Amino acid sequence: MKKLILLVALSITSLGWAQDQYTKGMSKALDLWGQQKINEASNLFERIAMAEEDNWIPYYYVAMVNTTASFDLKDEKQLTQQLERAKEFVDIAKRISPNNPELLVMEAMINTAWMAFDGATYGPMLSGKNVQLYNQALTLAPENPRVLFSKAEWDMGTARYFGKDTAPFCKDVGKAVELFATFGSEEPFYPSWGEDRAKQVWEQCKS
Amino acid sequence: MKNALSTLLFLQLAMTTFAQTEISGLVTDKSGNPISGANIYLEGTYDGASTVENGTFSFETSEQGTQTLVISALAYETHYEMGEVAYFKNLKIQLVEAINQLSGVTLSAGTFEAGDNSKVSVLKPLDIVTTAGAAGDFVAALQTLPGTTTVNEDGRLFVRGGSAEETQVFIDGLRVFQPFNATANNTPTRGRFSPFLFKGITFSTGGYSAEYGQALSSVLLLNTTDVPDQEKTDIQAMTVGAGLGHTEIWGDESLSINTQYINLAPYETLIPSTNGMRWNTPYESVAGEAVFRSKGDKSMFKLYTGFNHATLDIEQEDINFEDFVRFRLKNNNLYFNANYKYFFENNWTIFTGGSVSWDSNDIGLLDNTIVANETASHVKLKAKKMFNSRFTLNVGTELFNTNYEETFTTPDAFSFDSDFEDTLWAGYLEGDIFFNNDFALKLGGRVEHTSVLDEFTISPRLSLAYKSGTNSQFSLAYGDFYQNPLTTVLRYDQNLGLEKTSHYILNYQYLNNGKTFRAEAYYKDYDDLIKYNTELPQFNSLYTNLGSGYATGLDVFWRDNKSVENLDYWISYSYLDTERDFQNFQERATPNFAPNHSFSIVTKYWWNKLRSQVGVSYNYGSGRPYDNPNTPEFLAERTKSFNNLSVNWAYLIDQQKILYFSVNNVLGFNNVSNYQYANTPNANGVFDRRAITPPADSFFFVGFFWTISTDNKSNQLDNL
Repeated sequence: MKKLILLVALSITSLGWAQDQYTKGMSKALDLWGQQKINEASNLFERIAMAEEDNWIPYYYVAMVNTTASFDLKDEKQLTQQLERAKEFVDIAKRISPNNPELLVMEAMINTAWMAFDGATYGPMLSGKNVQLYNQALTLAPENPRVLFSKAEWDMGTARYFGKDTAPFCKDVGKAVELFATFGSEEPFYPSWGEDRAKQVWEQCKS
Repeated sequence: MKNALSTLLFLQLAMTTFAQTEISGLVTDKSGNPISGANIYLEGTYDGASTVENGTFSFETSEQGTQTLVISALAYETHYEMGEVAYFKNLKIQLVEAINQLSGVTLSAGTFEAGDNSKVSVLKPLDIVTTAGAAGDFVAALQTLPGTTTVNEDGRLFVRGGSAEETQVFIDGLRVFQPFNATANNTPTRGRFSPFLFKGITFSTGGYSAEYGQALSSVLLLNTTDVPDQEKTDIQAMTVGAGLGHTEIWGDESLSINTQYINLAPYETLIPSTNGMRWNTPYESVAGEAVFRSKGDKSMFKLYTGFNHATLDIEQEDINFEDFVRFRLKNNNLYFNANYKYFFENNWTIFTGGSVSWDSNDIGLLDNTIVANETASHVKLKAKKMFNSRFTLNVGTELFNTNYEETFTTPDAFSFDSDFEDTLWAGYLEGDIFFNNDFALKLGGRVEHTSVLDEFTISPRLSLAYKSGTNSQFSLAYGDFYQNPLTTVLRYDQNLGLEKTSHYILNYQYLNNGKTFRAEAYYKDYDDLIKYNTELPQFNSLYTNLGSGYATGLDVFWRDNKSVENLDYWISYSYLDTERDFQNFQERATPNFAPNHSFSIVTKYWWNKLRSQVGVSYNYGSGRPYDNPNTPEFLAERTKSFNNLSVNWAYLIDQQKILYFSVNNVLGFNNVSNYQYANTPNANGVFDRRAITPPADSFFFVGFFWTISTDNKSNQLDNL
């Protein structure tokens, strides 16, 4: 009996230990990212990902850190390395968590980074792919504000490129802003970005 | 109990506070330069750090005993150290650079790629078809690349002094037996395949991989799209016909179909072609293509099929006849290509596939009829193993079968049958070795056995590449290539040997930010070419393998799509010096299809204000050799030079509707490709002649293209 209790206690402590370590690690990585220590943040997320093989979230963040760091980057070699790393980690994450709308949005974001770098080359190659990704994400999670907003912002960008009116997409932005207020996930460190940007775009829509 | 728990807690605390081990070291590359930003960690734990500016790192861990230390950095191969944690101190770690397919050396001698892989692509898929003058025929667009010569009355690919039959076409690695539409003499043909269905095109003008054989000069490799982006319907209305395409996607499965009806009759009524010919029934064809794809977790299955039915009835001027000579043709072509690819865990990839074609021609020439049927098939099994990023092995085996039969019937019911059957087996083995990012080698060999000639051949292939600077590289290639005698000969004589060439290629390539420069010098040695002692191959001709020849030259390519905003252009120049003794030649001479100089410039400009893409192409070919029987010399005279200026204009009515205009040879140059001389001299003892010119000097095209898709923004601009 004593032994059993000891065993249970042991497993609880080690579980608590692991949880705590994950929270600590992730918080530290997010902190590094906040300090613009891109490489260190990416490395730490990667270390966590390698140790937590069944959890898609650290993989998601490796992709996120590398993708966001690639916008406005002019060095093709560095951009390529970062975006390829981002794609690699999103691909693994998709295997861990199939049909995850957040990962589809992430993948579309990587494509957008390529197009932002060289629209003439990557636009024709990837814009169709993005349409497909956003549609798929919307089918899976019509009430996810990040999906709704990312798609609306993409559609607005395309409309702008072709000199069309962006107003028809405003109602989706508005709906996303509403949904952001209530949307949440039980999963710790589940993606939560987008609300501020959505509000910003919503303001532009109203003005 | 209480004791036990507190002991445990204490133990763990003790571990964290007291048993910390420091791990430290320095990470450099092979030359000792520090690498910053490398990720160092104990496998399976969170313990780790990044290297700082000077390449050093240090971190503490509570782990004990034997552990694996992982050192990973972008652009380097991941390094593992195993050992006692206590010994991971002041480590000196040298990382080996990873082979980078994007910035490293590439094995590219002799090859032009048009594909999504932006590194080796000289042309993007859409370039292939947005070229003025090409009118959606990707083969016409390839004729603007160096190494090809414009033989405008033919329409097929003539590469580096080789005849059109020396180029073979493959779809997904499987042979296409009749890649071009059947046509009459002196009426240019087009590729059978619509560019809609292909994602990548590799055009090799020499020195190609051991995977391909039976082509003396060149191979053209087409790859069908793996996964289409979205469902859509394409509608085309053109001055020469109409087309309809549709793509449907169900999860991992998708089907694309593309159909086209072409009828030149309305166009010919408005703007008749009058240069030495008249149509009885202008060219009419019905064509359909379909691709089905099924993508598994680790596998890919594709089925491609194409059907084409074409008829034409034409009368053409002939110096030896008072009246025009009538030629009528009915062609049916059905082609299937199925292949399956599987990716194994251990970096093996297996590919298996087969293609089969049925081609039948019913030809009327004067009052004679020729009925010809050809059934040909190709099956292939190949495997690829990536041992690591430095060494890849390719191995494969394939079988070709050709069955040809023809019946020639004269009006007085005399008929003559000819036929042959050939089974050709081939096997190949080839390795790609990357010594580092600057030096790579491809070494392989191919063995073939052909049943009709009962002959074995062994062809070595070698390609080397050396990166001489950040943006430049040199390549060398060598290879032996064999090809069976053509059907036109094989049906009459099967006691012949294979024709042979050897290629020697030196290539320089410079790539920098949207600018591409390539220069390639080559020498080709032809041997064992087929000769015969009659004007055309006949059942009673005498055939030998005694022909030979050479071709040498320089190909130059320049492309720039960055310097001027919205303007993209490329320039090609080819110098060709070739002589050969083959077919019915009296002596070694430069054949009619091989002009010395070829030049082309292709420009495309996106005019934002007008929402239009405007394209202008200009092609030049120096005079082509022809034989004048009034002189004792053989093939010694030259036609005037060839000139063609073509323009096109694609206007976006809205995102999904495009209006498209194009004019081929807008300045109406009177091009002469050859001269036909009378068989017998006239009363003054002179052989009369007539110029062989295109059926019409210029060609106009107007089309309306409408795409209906779920995203409301795709269009067919890429395909024009």
